[in-house]
Amino acid sequence: MVITMLSRVADSLYWMSRNIERAENNARVLSVQLIHMLEAQNQEAADRDWEEIVEVCASAKDYYSLYDRLDRETMIQYLTISPFNVNSLMNCMNFARENARSTRDILPEELWEVLNAFHLDQKDWQELPNTRQHTQDYLDRVIKTSMTSQGVIESSMSRGTPYTFIKVGKWLERAEKTARILNVTCEKNRKEADVPTDHYYYWLTALQFLNGYDAYIKEHPPTMESKHVLSFLIKEGTFPRSIRYCMDHVMEAVNKLEGGKISHYSEDLFQMLELIQDEITSTNIEEMDMNELMSFLDHFQDRCMTLSRMFSQTYYLIEPVHVK
Amino acid sequence: MLTNYQTGVYFDEMMKQDGEPKRHYQWFYQLVNQFTERDLMKKHETAQLNFLRQGITFTVYNHTGGTERTMPFDFVPIIIPRQDWEEIEKGMKQRMTALNHFLEDIYHDQEIVEAGIIPRELIENNPYYYNKQVSGIDIPLRNHIFLAGVDLIRDENGQYRVLEDNLRNPSGMSYVFQNRYVMRQVYPELFFQHSIETLEHQLSELHQAVTSHLPANADPHKSATAVLLTPGIYNSAYYDHVFLAQQMGIELVEGRDLIVKNDVVYMKTIKGLKRVDIIYRRIDDDFLDPEAFRPDSALGVSGLLRAYRKGNVSILNGIGNGVADDKAMYVYVPDMIRFYLEEEPIIPNVETYFLSDPERLDYVLDNIHELVVKNVGASGGYDMLIGPQSEESEREEFKKKIIENPHQYIAQPTIKLSRAPAYQEGRFYPCHVDLRVFVMNGEKTNVLPGGLSRVALKEGSLVVNSSQGGGGKDTWILTESGDHHA
Repeated sequence: MVITMLSRVADSLYWMSRNIERAENNARVLSVQLIHMLEAQNQEAADRDWEEIVEVCASAKDYYSLYDRLDRETMIQYLTISPFNVNSLMNCMNFARENARSTRDILPEELWEVLNAFHLDQKDWQELPNTRQHTQDYLDRVIKTSMTSQGVIESSMSRGTPYTFIKVGKWLERAEKTARILNVTCEKNRKEADVPTDHYYYWLTALQFLNGYDAYIKEHPPTMESKHVLSFLIKEGTFPRSIRYCMDHVMEAVNKLEGGKISHYSEDLFQMLELIQDEITSTNIEEMDMNELMSFLDHFQDRCMTLSRMFSQTYYLIEPVHVK
Repeated sequence: MLTNYQTGVYFDEMMKQDGEPKRHYQWFYQLVNQFTERDLMKKHETAQLNFLRQGITFTVYNHTGGTERTMPFDFVPIIIPRQDWEEIEKGMKQRMTALNHFLEDIYHDQEIVEAGIIPRELIENNPYYYNKQVSGIDIPLRNHIFLAGVDLIRDENGQYRVLEDNLRNPSGMSYVFQNRYVMRQVYPELFFQHSIETLEHQLSELHQAVTSHLPANADPHKSATAVLLTPGIYNSAYYDHVFLAQQMGIELVEGRDLIVKNDVVYMKTIKGLKRVDIIYRRIDDDFLDPEAFRPDSALGVSGLLRAYRKGNVSILNGIGNGVADDKAMYVYVPDMIRFYLEEEPIIPNVETYFLSDPERLDYVLDNIHELVVKNVGASGGYDMLIGPQSEESEREEFKKKIIENPHQYIAQPTIKLSRAPAYQEGRFYPCHVDLRVFVMNGEKTNVLPGGLSRVALKEGSLVVNSSQGGGGKDTWILTESGDHHA
């Protein structure tokens, strides 16, 4: 195993990975939403939930600082190819490519080529008319690019330090996105608790956003109980987008980086990881009401931010670096 | 394929005036004739795409920002017979030895000035002469030129001449390897009948040359840590840096990855600081250390020069090489060879006139339409006038510039640069070519067999620089057996 690596390189790999994952997740959310729109019976149904989509894929606050109202076409533009949204698919893919470019010397050639091919084609995308079909194709291309990248990483990278940093970025990004989607869904549910709405629809959507519908249905034949869905997406140990699964894998990756040993500089990081794992396993999802669930998810998102910061500090991904 | 090809008054690398191929191109000529037009077009496209997909690009900057471009590739190789190559190789070794002596000399005893061979002011007024920073220090192997890229041209008689010595940060070596790689991928048929010098060991030679420059104070019990210092992804030659670092297995670092503490250089890693012994830098001298050179440099590392002076780190190429490879000092290289080595130059220069000499100045002003005028401080084909291809207004403008600042310019006769066929857009046509030869110096000197053949793809153009529409070709040195064969 390569023992050491430049901090800047580690940082780039971590962010490359997070941006690829973020782009894929956002593309899937948007793609699911566009399909729901097609199935909607009337205009009102087609226009609903867009604010939640913006909140999941970017930030509603940032959106409103640029635009006055939620206009569907503007939003699609904002989330896909807008240069003004740091989390637009185009920006995420550009960040991923730039990060890959500055670490090309240690990445598999094919990974660079996959990201570069997306970039080269992107110029064409920008010139295509803004039709639904083109948007769907673009989303599909983002998802496939992410999947191919992961395939290259898994099939050709040595399981050394660079690989591990890539994985940590991916799991952290994923866990956060799952929490975010659930949070938004819970919020929606709570708001409409008194209104007789179709709650089934919300949980189904959450599963689709996280590519977990098929897996869930196998575990829980066709019922859409909110407690089951939440429990599945938070605690299911075998589903690769559940919060628990992601955090277990962050732990595994850090363990690997440290060769199974806890040193003085990594002590805080390990403690935080263990604490988070405990908090997940000891929580009884089934007994919580929506408010409690939301505060659990908020708390977890804060933990992710703390963890991300501690991770960066432990490996000097941010200044300063001292002689050891 | 080449039925309507005209060599004209120029020396052609491949074809004779009677329309027959030269002896060492016979096999190639026959093989190409077996391709259909369709094959040629298809292969051509595949080759170009290959470069784009792999991101083998350089960045061109203009008023709207930077664009990534590939260097156009032309598949007709430059084939050099063994004997010719041996002569070039000897000539390059001779030239590098003399230039290295020169650098060592002017930063120490200045014997060549004392002997009255080179005017003192030419050295002292040179903006790249960093006497204050690096004079008097003993550098590892006393070698200033770890890697040189010497640009050769051939005149109308086929005589090789040195056009330029690049002793600072010559780029383009990665293209030599990529050209060969793409060539083998896309035109494998062409290799069946040729026995040519392989490039396989060249990167390990380069690595050895790097690591042989151990700084005086390196820990003798540890293997040396070498890095390649790049200005970063926005540099036009970034691909070159990535390729070389990767192939040599050394870390690719940016200025912000390094730090100097107690005059020792470290790189910042995830496990803390790690000592660096050798830096192959691709950052120009004046950006290297804001403490010693330009204070506004954000690319460099503060304190690097102090570490260098103390023998705690090696810097390749040496600091201050720019004094030896500018267009004014170029004129004196043959004299350096005579002075230091007591030999006659094997590969001659192109005849060059200093415009600071009033007689020459008058001659140049009168004959500017026949001459090439260059700014001694510029490179890459910029601030240059090609007399026979210029407009009256351009010539007048240049005359003004020359009269205002004669020291800044040199003039050379317009050489009938040799040509070779290029295949672009479905046809073969003659284009001017030159050859950048890479010379690596460590404990021994090694000349990379072949080099980067650059071609001016714009018909009639004399400018081969990639930033101005030039392309690249593979360069084949026939092995001994290959020579009999061809």
